[in-house]
Amino acid sequence: MAIKELLNRFNAVVTDPYSEARSRKEQGQKVIGWLPTDVPEELIHAAGAFPVGSLGSCSKIRLADTHLQVWVCSLMRGSLEMGLRGDLDFLDGLIIPQTCDTTRAMVGIWRQTSLIPYIDSFMMPKQVKRSSAREYLIGELTRLKSNLEKVTGNLITNESLGTSIKLFNENRQLLRRMFEIHADHPGLISSREVYTVIKAAMYMDKVKHNGILQDLIQAMKQKAARSIDKSNPKVRLVISGGVWEPPEIMDLIEEAGGVVVGDDMLTGMRYLSPDADEKRDPLEALADRQLNKIPFAGFDNQNYERRRFLHNLVRHTEAAGLIFLHLKFCEPENYDYNDMREALNSAGIPNLRLETEVGNPSLGQIRTRLEAFIEMIGGDPIE
Amino acid sequence: MSEPFKTAALMKELMAKYYDLGEESRRKGIPVVWVTAVFPVEIIYAMDLYPYYPENFGALASARKVADKLSMAAEAKGYFNDLCGYARCGIGDAYSLEHPVGKILSPDLLLCCNTQCGSLPKWFEAAGRFYNKPYFLWDSPMIEDETSDIKQNYLIKQLYELIDFLEITTKRRFDINKLQEVVALSSQATALWNDCLEMAALKPAPFGFFDACIHMAPIVVWRGRQEAVDYYRQLKAELEARLEKKIYAIPNERHKVYFDHIPVWPRLRWFADMFAANDTLVAASQYTHAWAMNFDPARPLETLAEHYPHQFVNRGVDYRLKLKMDFMRHYNCDGFILFSNRSCKPNSIGLYDKKRMLTEMTGLPGLVFEGDMSDLRFFSEGQIKTLFETYFEQLV
Ligand code: SF4
Ligand code: SF4
Repeated sequence: MAIKELLNRFNAVVTDPYSEARSRKEQGQKVIGWLPTDVPEELIHAAGAFPVGSLGSCSKIRLADTHLQVWVCSLMRGSLEMGLRGDLDFLDGLIIPQTCDTTRAMVGIWRQTSLIPYIDSFMMPKQVKRSSAREYLIGELTRLKSNLEKVTGNLITNESLGTSIKLFNENRQLLRRMFEIHADHPGLISSREVYTVIKAAMYMDKVKHNGILQDLIQAMKQKAARSIDKSNPKVRLVISGGVWEPPEIMDLIEEAGGVVVGDDMLTGMRYLSPDADEKRDPLEALADRQLNKIPFAGFDNQNYERRRFLHNLVRHTEAAGLIFLHLKFCEPENYDYNDMREALNSAGIPNLRLETEVGNPSLGQIRTRLEAFIEMIGGDPIE
Repeated sequence: MSEPFKTAALMKELMAKYYDLGEESRRKGIPVVWVTAVFPVEIIYAMDLYPYYPENFGALASARKVADKLSMAAEAKGYFNDLCGYARCGIGDAYSLEHPVGKILSPDLLLCCNTQCGSLPKWFEAAGRFYNKPYFLWDSPMIEDETSDIKQNYLIKQLYELIDFLEITTKRRFDINKLQEVVALSSQATALWNDCLEMAALKPAPFGFFDACIHMAPIVVWRGRQEAVDYYRQLKAELEARLEKKIYAIPNERHKVYFDHIPVWPRLRWFADMFAANDTLVAASQYTHAWAMNFDPARPLETLAEHYPHQFVNRGVDYRLKLKMDFMRHYNCDGFILFSNRSCKPNSIGLYDKKRMLTEMTGLPGLVFEGDMSDLRFFSEGQIKTLFETYFEQLV
């Protein structure tokens, strides 16, 4: 199948994200939703339920305003709006990972306002380096496991969890493979398309996703081999932040002459790396996977890790600059921002901070700033 | 606010002594340890280190009405003005050339507990990088429903990690017997503090929330030392004497209300006067009660791990509603005020739903108002005044 057709299938999923989940539900399967992005989907899957992301990407936020003050981030606002609208009523459960003071309040509000019978927190340790963190996390995963067993009525065995881990690892590996091909040959497919494939993984059945993704990788490889001119005039960029919302932002980056070749986003690399070790006890493997994820504002990163990580990422991807996509009112990101910027500045890496809002597509000013930034760091790509 | 207390002189003396001790520690090479307000400071005192409270610095700058100035220095660095006002004051002061309330004392070590919020760890991480000093997080996972052995073990295990960290970085020995003594002192002081707060339940009462806001400084910074015990013993005696002489917190107490949160520091007096003018005593708040803990010195580490991480702000909605209702019942409140403080998201998000539920459950009138505890750029006096005027009419 041609690349375009394959991409269309992922696009269709992202346009109507819950059709798979709904049909699963109609067939009698339990459906458990999660907010971005650290919830261990494998546990949900191993309990025989269908895991589905709720990424908050909804336009026109109104109902949430009576519950959340104006200074609450649009990510939590957007998903609550969908809940209040009844868009997520089909869920049998919802798991909210605790990352910040906003998420801390959300479980209570969701429980008060929604019909979803099971609403839980995933309470990850906020320090990831000391041995106590691992022990606690295994305990927390065990708690989640037994709650999921209660909700679904199915036992999660080492075997079923092992099988799920394998499937999800495969998905992550394929996604990373696709991303590598894209980073080596930007222009085969657009930045937005790359990230749409990743986003689709959060809504789809993984077996299906893997299948189409394999075809896509094949098609991308073939096209890459055919294309004679390897040089790409686009300016290579890394993005950093939570979610790439509104999605049009990816188009703007490309229209301004850029291409995204690396990231540390919740709806990007943080979702697809690292794998869980298939040779270990599955719960321990999931714990280690969590602890070894790339640095993120919601966790302790005192040891300069995130700054070093971003610096290395820019070098390693041969990017010309970095764009922070920070959601308005996102406190964790803002506390890190000054130090990250200074580290990049002193390494001579051009960077730009854009403040975005889920569900707010007014992007005029952002377009202007992107154009100026990309022109500054990349010259005029047409010349 | 009540007429001036005799203990005011002692308070002044104690606070001066506390700040002097900081300077002296620096000179003598005794580590200055940044801690958060709800942190087992007992361990720091037990190791003869000097605990410094950056939040206290923030509250002071806020009360002196310079939070906006300090904040702007942080904002110039890219910190936005929606962050916690205390953090903005602390970060702003670090970058600022002017120090309107004196310079924040730089740390040798930074210790943080995230039971209060996620702002503190992020602020302390940034400060750790700025001052280039080691940082330790006592991570206290949220308790949505009930706590568990897994969490409790995690907290205890981390206390051992903390002690190792302190012994290595300060090259001092930790002594559990010394900790026991410190916890016993803490326990006495917190009990006396609680006794003072309790007096607000009398009608008319000699003491209320706004008085407590003034008198809480020693329970925060001197908790674990004899100084705090002495201070609250005197305060309690003075309150008892005032009762005999019929000196009350407000001249004509008709109503009592519960106030949910930190006061608006730069407008403390303004609020106190407004409530007094409406014959309403603000009797209690979870905020001032946060230091009314009840430790068991026989089990020093366990008791610390049981109290600090279980603060209301780290709890789920049911617990928090019940706590508010218990306060209202215990203090015989006729209503409640919820402060939607944009500086303090963990205490403010969800207040609109809580107001509805509390009124449903208690039948009492409630009010939510918007503002910032630190920064007067986010305080619209006229609007708030009108809001409260209508509210006072509902108190019957
Ligand atoms: S981390 Fe940021 S974007 Fe995520 S919920 Fe918290 S405030 Fe919102
Ligand atoms: S005021 Fe709130 S956000 Fe600020 S330090 Fe205190 S608990 Fe944290």
